[in-house]
Amino acid sequence: MKRLTLTLCLASTLTTAPLMAASTNSSHNPGTDYRRQWHSDILTGYQSLATQSQTLAKQAEAYCQAPSPEAFEQAKQAWLEAFLAWQKVRFVDFGPVEQDNRAWQFQFWPDPKNLVARKASYLLKDDAPITPEKISESGVAVQGFPMAEYLLYDQAFNNSERALPADHTCKLLAAVTRHIADNGETLAHDWKAFQNNYIGSDQYTDTTIRAAMAGLEILEERRLATPMGLRGNGKRSVYSADAWRSEASLIAADASVQGLNQHFLPAFSKLLKDRGQASLAENIDQQFNEVLANFPELDRPMAPLLADDKAFRSLQNLYIDVTQLTALVNDRAAVELGVVRGFNSSDGD
Amino acid sequence: MPELTRRSLIKTAFAGSAALTLSGCNILPRKAGSEGPQQYTGAIGLPDGSFAVGATAPDGTMLWKSPVQTRCHSGCNRPGTAEVLFFERRPGWAFYVLNSKTGEKFHRIEAAEGEHFVGHGVFSADGRFLYAPVNRYEPGEGIIAVYDSHMQYQRVDTFELDGTGPHQITLHPDGQTLIVGLGGILTHPDYDRIKLNLDTMEPALVLMDRHSGGVLARFQPSHHQLSTRHVDVAPDGTIYAAYQYQGPAHELPPLVARYRNGRYEEISFGESVHQELGNYIASIVAHPENDLVAIASPVGGTALIFNSRTSAVIEKVAIADCAGVEALAGGDFLVSSGRGKLVRMGKNKPAAEIARMSVRWDHHLV
Repeated sequence: MKRLTLTLCLASTLTTAPLMAASTNSSHNPGTDYRRQWHSDILTGYQSLATQSQTLAKQAEAYCQAPSPEAFEQAKQAWLEAFLAWQKVRFVDFGPVEQDNRAWQFQFWPDPKNLVARKASYLLKDDAPITPEKISESGVAVQGFPMAEYLLYDQAFNNSERALPADHTCKLLAAVTRHIADNGETLAHDWKAFQNNYIGSDQYTDTTIRAAMAGLEILEERRLATPMGLRGNGKRSVYSADAWRSEASLIAADASVQGLNQHFLPAFSKLLKDRGQASLAENIDQQFNEVLANFPELDRPMAPLLADDKAFRSLQNLYIDVTQLTALVNDRAAVELGVVRGFNSSDGD
Repeated sequence: MPELTRRSLIKTAFAGSAALTLSGCNILPRKAGSEGPQQYTGAIGLPDGSFAVGATAPDGTMLWKSPVQTRCHSGCNRPGTAEVLFFERRPGWAFYVLNSKTGEKFHRIEAAEGEHFVGHGVFSADGRFLYAPVNRYEPGEGIIAVYDSHMQYQRVDTFELDGTGPHQITLHPDGQTLIVGLGGILTHPDYDRIKLNLDTMEPALVLMDRHSGGVLARFQPSHHQLSTRHVDVAPDGTIYAAYQYQGPAHELPPLVARYRNGRYEEISFGESVHQELGNYIASIVAHPENDLVAIASPVGGTALIFNSRTSAVIEKVAIADCAGVEALAGGDFLVSSGRGKLVRMGKNKPAAEIARMSVRWDHHLV
């Protein structure tokens, strides 16, 4: 029995307010099997994120201690690999990643007001020391991959006098990548500690499926349709994509689909089959392969594909494949399983 | 003890209920406790992805749809007039004043500099003053903004809530006390809808004098992450608050609180029911004709009715993405869903689907 500590701060009498935990006694409940596998599969992803984030912090530090073009490339490569490790588990929107807005800390996006650039300029303006505390109190736009990406990749910034390896900028890069690495480690640790609650609580089955559905929807709508000009004002714009500075929007999409394929699909497939939906499970499996077949061909910068109608077709093909995958998971499977991501249920108000 | 417990609250009898129940008009659903037109108005999403405010008759006949620029959330009827207001979804930069009979837009009133609306508002009983919860977002302060409808909705006053994240507001039957759900969650429009202070939230149910803005009472839930968002009040003055829990999904805290006879108490429906509520309640409505209260959870896909005296759950039904609740004449409730359904629920009868419409009903009906 898990209980929250109740702090009674009512002036008046409080009655009948026990906090209850979900049932944990479920030896014949197949749900625990799926969740056991999900827990393990997601842990693998989180551990990879932790490892890659450590490498990023080390490479950033090594570069700043002895700047060279090679070390700069290595730091960028470490950023990309850690960022892609994050993309693989980005769909997990529940559990320890919710704590302290960790998901937002890893990747503050979308950023229509360019807060990342504004915050960087603010932090670098004076030469006040950049401490871990300063990073912790500066908000999510400072604390994750987009800030490190800005310092490593932003063209205008790289042509300014503040460009790496300027001392103060190096300190900011080191502090931000250290923050990412610490978060990666804490997240993997907390996910492990979350095991019993996760496996023991039936509601996490639907929560996990909804998380994958939301991940697919965000990929289709916000990471592809919007920059492709299929939404809003109808104009193609790479600035609506994520990771445009590093030109990693599409390789990140690739990683997110791979992540769902590795960390979500195995247990989901089993669940579908157990519920008499073997052919649907098969279709979903095939559609994952269809989407992934667009890569590594499409692990390319998005901007040139948006600029040229002929090249745009390869993006459209990817988009159509993703749409079909989303339809299979978010519509067909969700309806069969009674798991709904609704207009109101995903609103939060 | 809170000051309000010493106040003598006006106890309004169940006015009109006898007449309504004796009317025998139980076949066609009718709106409870309303002298206005027989309709419910709600924010809607349309199949093409655009948004509108729409009105439906209680039987599910769409009366009008009025397109709006962005998704709206909830609103309020202006007493004594054919005006209905709707607020843009948080961060709401404006509210619309519409003709409740036709959907014609009279005004679009923008939020003041540095402020945004949060989706709700309520009028004084005479229909003159609008009280709208507002986020003053740079300092992160919750306030009640007062507008005078007799002066083209000019801002005439501002009341401090001494807290963060106000959400729903309603008016006590005494006509003087505003009831405010103070969610406690700090947000900033630059940061989407990110919750910035989950560790230090201070949610509360706040009772406020509508003339002076003085806080009459403040009740805190039993856990600091029980975001106190939605409120309602019965004609006898019993106040209800509905929470949205910000902690982990495997914890199942109480989600409803009741204030009456000087006591603020939280109600538990039992473990299995709480599992079906997903730690989230979108609407709470006390029926003006009886002692039943209905809640809806889109996250859990569950709507239920409980008895206010015994706290016992007396009806419960699974409705995907249900959120809006309103009282029907005769003692039943109408529940709307993001999948376009209107469902009638009542005591001792199976829930009945009244309509399935090609719109997505947003959180609230008014």
